[in-house]
Amino acid sequence: MSDNSIQPDSINGAIQIDSVLDAMIESMIVIDASGRIERVNKATENMFGYRPDELIGKPIGILMAGADKARHSSYLDRYKQTGVRRIIGIGREVQAQRKDGSSFPAHIAVGEVRAEDATRFVGLVRDLTDQRQTEEEALRRREEMVNVSRLSMMGEMAAAMAHELNQPLTAIANYAAASIRLLEQGTEEGLADVKAALQEINEQAHRAGDVIQRTRGFTKSADGTRKVTRIHEVAELIRSLATLDTRANNIQMNWEIPADLPPIVVDSVQIQQIILNLVRNAVDAMENTEPEKRQISVTAKLTAPHEIRVEVCDRGPGVSDSCANDIFNAFYTTKASGMGMGLAICRTIARAHGGQLGFRNNESSRGGATFFFTIPTQVNS
Amino acid sequence: MPTSSAKVFIVDDDQAVRNSLRLLFKTVNIDAITFESGDAFLHEYDGDWQGCVVLDIRMPGTSGLEVQKILQERGNNLPVIFITGHGDVPMAVEAMQRGAFDFVQKPFRDQELVDRVSQALNQNQEMQEAALYRRQVRNCYAELTPREKEVMECVVKGQANKVIAMDLDVSQRTVEIHRARVMEKMRARSLADLVRMALALGE
Repeated sequence: MSDNSIQPDSINGAIQIDSVLDAMIESMIVIDASGRIERVNKATENMFGYRPDELIGKPIGILMAGADKARHSSYLDRYKQTGVRRIIGIGREVQAQRKDGSSFPAHIAVGEVRAEDATRFVGLVRDLTDQRQTEEEALRRREEMVNVSRLSMMGEMAAAMAHELNQPLTAIANYAAASIRLLEQGTEEGLADVKAALQEINEQAHRAGDVIQRTRGFTKSADGTRKVTRIHEVAELIRSLATLDTRANNIQMNWEIPADLPPIVVDSVQIQQIILNLVRNAVDAMENTEPEKRQISVTAKLTAPHEIRVEVCDRGPGVSDSCANDIFNAFYTTKASGMGMGLAICRTIARAHGGQLGFRNNESSRGGATFFFTIPTQVNS
Repeated sequence: MPTSSAKVFIVDDDQAVRNSLRLLFKTVNIDAITFESGDAFLHEYDGDWQGCVVLDIRMPGTSGLEVQKILQERGNNLPVIFITGHGDVPMAVEAMQRGAFDFVQKPFRDQELVDRVSQALNQNQEMQEAALYRRQVRNCYAELTPREKEVMECVVKGQANKVIAMDLDVSQRTVEIHRARVMEKMRARSLADLVRMALALGE
């Protein structure tokens, strides 16, 4: 050993070790084989709000919250009996508890110290509050972006929606006006017509209500809750909104989503958002397509044992090579009035669900492009 | 009031809108025939139809604008009233430029549409009558001899018999005879009537 290397003796004393331990940012806790606290550093006091004398001799569970309180001693017991490591040497995220009863997310790494007199465990506790907040913030931002994108898509569809509402409203106005004229004329035959007209008015008012109902279901803020469902049920709920767009643009829609595909666990509104977005893109892509070729197919099938693939196929000009690499990037758009967020957000949603979003150009005889996304089916585990 | 054979032809893909319009027109004694698409209308369409067309501008299949174009290509002059939606103004403008009678925006006041349709039916009837009149005048005119045609041309210019006689180098008495024959063959009741017929021939 060279002369200028650190000598073990120089940090040998108890004072030096204490000052090193107290300088640590992480909380360090030494417990005995039965899980009782033997020693803590300064950071432990700051993190948990206990003085050292309040902790020494107490079971380690005092620093844990809820389920982790009991679980912790069982980890120790099990390790001692079986040698199976649940926490020792691995590290684990737990809910820790301060003296005032408040809890916070923490990461604990535990090491075993075998000495002559006894076996001890050393736990290093890191407060994850800030990290969690950052993660939650990022998640919230993403959800907000997804919601904003969906609402802006509905804004773009306002014209088609107005058209759809105008049909029943026009019929109602006509029936009501005709009824007034018939009542003024006061003939026997007219009364029968008035009755039929009133029934139609009732019918058409409900029809208008349905349009609004469907829209409301789609515009309400998604809370990210995932539920077990089936793709044809999810898709059916967006079908009327999607058809509204294709009908307004004189496009024939083929909708073939089998009812017997395996269940999926998804946020339905977000999956609907992908479908509607892809359909709207397909509609825009066929702006200059001849009337007889204006067709969009929405299909779904099982492409792997645990994967459902939903495809939206158009007969527009397809995706040019020059923009194929960019279309999934945020703020990239080929549309005059586009924000360039649609596909980027669709891809985010697909990935958050464990799936993929992609496209291919169709063979030249058919033309157009097919955009698809995959969703893993529910795996029973 | 329009003639009894005049009808309003309603072309709209929405059944409720179609049926409600038919009832509305029934209350003002206008016969309506409805069609669920532009194609169905064009398929049934007969060149002798009189009345007017109420055409939804936005329909699946053949659009309202295309129906208007095809009608014009077939030489039809039924007045067309377009029903348009909220954002269809540019299309409506195009339709007007192509000679549409008018357009109404959904949802519209019943009186607004009834008034427009009545006006369109009247215009169509006037055009039909004018066309009939022109046909009759042409038939009569075809019966005139070349000399009678010459005399008629001079008469409607307001020339006196004496002047016509000199121009055509015949006796004044001969002009008088030709003139009487022209009035008789043309079934004109007065000189003003004959002038009107001459104008119709020029159209």
